[in-house]
Amino acid sequence: MEMPKITRRTFLKVSAGTTAAVAAAPRLLNAMEQELGGKDFNPDSLAERKAIPITCHVCNIQDGAIAFVENGRVVKLEGNPEHVSTRGRLCAKGNAGMWYSYDPDRILYPLKRVGARGEGKWKRITWDEALAEVAQKLDAALKEDPNTIAVKKGRDRSGGAWGRFMNTLGSATVLNHTSVCESSKKIGMEPTWGPDIETPDFANAKYVLNFGSNILEAAYFHNPLSQRVTEGRVDNHMKIVTFDVRLSNTAGFSDEWIPVFPGTDGAVALAMGHVILRDNLQDTDFIETWTNVTVKELKDNYKPYTPEWASKISGVPAETIERVAREFATTKPATLFTYRGPAKHLYGSYNERSCMMLPIMTGNIETRGGYCLPRGMGWPQPNPQPPGPKHGSYLSTPPDYPLAGHKVSHLVPFWIAEGKQKINVYMTYQDNPVYTNPGARAVWGRLFKDEKLIPYYISMSSHMGEETALADIILPDCPYLERWEPESMPNSLWPWLGVRQPVHASLGESRENRVMLRDIIHKLDPDGKRGMKQFWNFKDGEDYMKQHFDNIPGLKEAGGLKFLKEHGVWPIYGKLDPKSGKVTDKTGREIKAEYGLHKKELSDADMAGAVVGKDGVISKNGKAIGVKRNGKNYVGFPTGNRVINVRVDQWAEYGFNPMPTFKRIPWHETMKEDEMILSTFKLNVHKQSRTAAVKWLAEIAHSNPAWMNPVTAKKLGVKTGDLVRIETRVGHMVTKAYVTEGIHPKVISIPTAFGHWEYGRLATLKLKDKPAFGGTEDADLQNVWWDDRGVHPNDIIPVVADPIGGSQGWYDTVAKVTKAGPNDKYGDIQGDWQKHVEAYKETMRYAYTGDLHRKMHPEMASWGGPESVKHKAGGGGH
Amino acid sequence: MLNGLAIETEQPIPLPLLVAAPVEVTPEDLRARAGVCRLLAGVFVEEPSPEFLSALRAPEALRSLEEAGLRFDADFTGADPAELSDSLSIEYTTLFAASGGFPPVESVRLTGRYQQEPHFAVKEIYKRAGFELQKGRFFVFEDQLGVELSFVAGLLEGCAAALAADDVAQFRWRDRELKRFWVGHLGKWVRGYARLIERAAEHSFYREMARLLGEFAEAEIAALRLRIDDQDKGKLVVPKSEVKVAFNPDEPVCGACPGST
Repeated sequence: MEMPKITRRTFLKVSAGTTAAVAAAPRLLNAMEQELGGKDFNPDSLAERKAIPITCHVCNIQDGAIAFVENGRVVKLEGNPEHVSTRGRLCAKGNAGMWYSYDPDRILYPLKRVGARGEGKWKRITWDEALAEVAQKLDAALKEDPNTIAVKKGRDRSGGAWGRFMNTLGSATVLNHTSVCESSKKIGMEPTWGPDIETPDFANAKYVLNFGSNILEAAYFHNPLSQRVTEGRVDNHMKIVTFDVRLSNTAGFSDEWIPVFPGTDGAVALAMGHVILRDNLQDTDFIETWTNVTVKELKDNYKPYTPEWASKISGVPAETIERVAREFATTKPATLFTYRGPAKHLYGSYNERSCMMLPIMTGNIETRGGYCLPRGMGWPQPNPQPPGPKHGSYLSTPPDYPLAGHKVSHLVPFWIAEGKQKINVYMTYQDNPVYTNPGARAVWGRLFKDEKLIPYYISMSSHMGEETALADIILPDCPYLERWEPESMPNSLWPWLGVRQPVHASLGESRENRVMLRDIIHKLDPDGKRGMKQFWNFKDGEDYMKQHFDNIPGLKEAGGLKFLKEHGVWPIYGKLDPKSGKVTDKTGREIKAEYGLHKKELSDADMAGAVVGKDGVISKNGKAIGVKRNGKNYVGFPTGNRVINVRVDQWAEYGFNPMPTFKRIPWHETMKEDEMILSTFKLNVHKQSRTAAVKWLAEIAHSNPAWMNPVTAKKLGVKTGDLVRIETRVGHMVTKAYVTEGIHPKVISIPTAFGHWEYGRLATLKLKDKPAFGGTEDADLQNVWWDDRGVHPNDIIPVVADPIGGSQGWYDTVAKVTKAGPNDKYGDIQGDWQKHVEAYKETMRYAYTGDLHRKMHPEMASWGGPESVKHKAGGGGH
Repeated sequence: MLNGLAIETEQPIPLPLLVAAPVEVTPEDLRARAGVCRLLAGVFVEEPSPEFLSALRAPEALRSLEEAGLRFDADFTGADPAELSDSLSIEYTTLFAASGGFPPVESVRLTGRYQQEPHFAVKEIYKRAGFELQKGRFFVFEDQLGVELSFVAGLLEGCAAALAADDVAQFRWRDRELKRFWVGHLGKWVRGYARLIERAAEHSFYREMARLLGEFAEAEIAALRLRIDDQDKGKLVVPKSEVKVAFNPDEPVCGACPGST
């Protein structure tokens, strides 16, 4: 018998055809692997270092981490291999986190201002003195009106302590940072499907549309999501298409980077929807079953949004829109992710909804590899709990923005200046609006310096940020490695609870925030007669955590807080596989996520006493608990009617288009030839303001030249390193240019986190503003080889508020860029308060009460005007 | 702040790097040096109390300080007591306790961070020598200047007592501990740091006390016949030529990569 001839071609065929069998074949000899974390040793003594599991809080991803402690100090931070979301990985920021604790510029004592605000003259005082003064100021404010006490919080991870504090005082004036973060993304999503964020199943997707998100570096959940993006690309041959004005590293990692004119992502998404519906590529069954519109209604709505229309606005070729739309609709499973790119615009909420409609209309919701609901876990609050405030606050729930459920805090300085609400005591916690908000020192700096508008300002901070430098009193807060805090984040498909625990005692006289708040209340109500003290009954941070964690079913049986102290996270789903880097079960298979959460059926017990309405909504005790579809009782989506609201009726009440739509930014339409859009972005080693004091990160990135396209640079006669002058309607700045193909020709983009004028010696490259305090006196600064700290652009960015979601339009600023003149010098920056006020007045014209609202919404001609709606306190689209 | 306890140790103690030949000392001399140490510790450990200031401004005290070469301005000698206390509290905070100042802490001066190796090392030394840190008006780190000076004062007083009692073993042990502490800790940073404070202080009180601190340190190191490098140096600016990096720090921003326009 003649044997077949074996050739190289035959080998290749065999190899290709037996991939699965090879994977299943027994392997007895494996390459040796190192331990995938969890242990660390002193390189000299080989002694094992003490490992304390924590939850990272350099940025807001909340990665599981381990602090290795030797002789009482943290010598190393790394990922927690037991954490199902972050799986033993920690980003550069997380690895550098101990610098916060040991920073020589850390505030270690209560400080009282003795000079003019911002002069930098302080007197160290004792806690007793500080608490007595704070209590006296609060007491006086309480007697007038509790709402004259305001707090503005940034990265508040107290797990409810701040809400408890303000409720104890009876003040509703609680402000946050969300309007400069992602509020219009949230408001685009919440009324549509319930939660404020999505969890894309990148690892199992075959196709990804990424609108304006730098997933691999800076977006929400960048660590856990970038791991899944990489798996999807490598293991699943997933295709990624990124729409962004800038060639971020995510765009560079993508199969296609499609530069898009700022603020037009929504138009591109609508045009894709047009193609999908026109060509009948939609998932009709999903739309008809799980949304509140019919396919016909959708088709009618999408008819005007042609690729040609979107192409003219966005600059994306119509054929590209056609092709990508068809690829997305015909490749299953597919998912989508957005972040600030679409949302941070005048009508960011519309943009966000237009983007999320793509996975909705193609039925990629809650499927493996699709666009999934977030999974998180909660914890109970200690009892008793204080009642809420008796009256609403203008600043917290501005009546002109009734749908902005995450507030419009970046407009607060103007409202205070206009006398909309009186403030007696203003507090900041983990929030640096003088640096991070539009207008920066020209707006917030001016506000905080005005003792008539802000009579008393308390900063609770571990560092001398730009806001803290203007305070009347500073209460020294602890950095994250010295705090107790509960955590949970929907940063993967597996829900978890975590804890942040101190790795050593607080340095100096700093106190963790919840203890500080308790001490203030105890000073105000020492004998409990005012009824405040009863809500602050805990010994210390650990005791507070016990009250959160010790009675959660499942965790309680595992040991409650004791378990979390030992492991950092609960539940532990499996073990980190050294070969795959994935969390696997006992059989070595990756743990499976649960999909189709909306299709969980209600039990008989759930249905007992429930009523099914005409539209199938199942209600019990006046609350929708599910929806009946095809004869089955499902839990549905966490919206008021348990389905996806493609049509958001509440928006129509205020004259906004309830269906997916797009509004072009009017001043973008009238831009002159020599004008550009000024945008900003974050690098992967920094966050908005607080990382400037972290030396390892500052060494990697410490300056921030403006990105500019070669085509634009050529017109201006500018090359890399040249100075350029950037002028906006509110001011001007002079900075260096970085000429690169990786930016849209009509955009000039500047990374933030640089150009600090406070935040310590490393951020400012100086000590005090006097000659003797020259520059590099401390030993470690002898290694600081750079002398360029960058230029911060926020002074010249005017406020813009999305009339629906309340977001700042960070990427809406029109700028004129020229080569710097002889009188311009690097670092010049000037913002003008009056011009910022004009910008504020202009943006208020787009609110539903403003004169431009109706003009922007001709399709809502039948709307009865602002008088036709009843103002709703609290806003919120859900 | 730093209290001595009657705890001794039998642990073998390594000799310092450089040990001078025994010098002729008397209990009085040792007590006098301890007194200067206590004075400086009081100046730098926290804001001066009105009582401390009052004692310092007493004619006899002022005269002795003047004889030592200190030249206080009218901001110290002529100021109203309450105003002086207040202005020195502010100056202390600016120089030593607020962001942007010069924390008088060995870990910061030598490693650029709070609570690093020196902190734990001196803590261990205090414990071994039978001292413990007690809380004053404010929290202080174990490697804070005032605490380290208190420790030196305690050792000097111990030496004086041992000498007065003819307890040679005890004297030698204290003397070795003293030298080791100067070599391993205080001597490494206090001279450069004193020069820095002398330059940076706005108030003549801290300027002159920093001068006294620097000169005292020089004199002690000489008296103990130690050779210790000043690692602090109190430099204002480190020339780029002294910065060791593996690349060109003068490289234009963004690298001006080949091909960039």
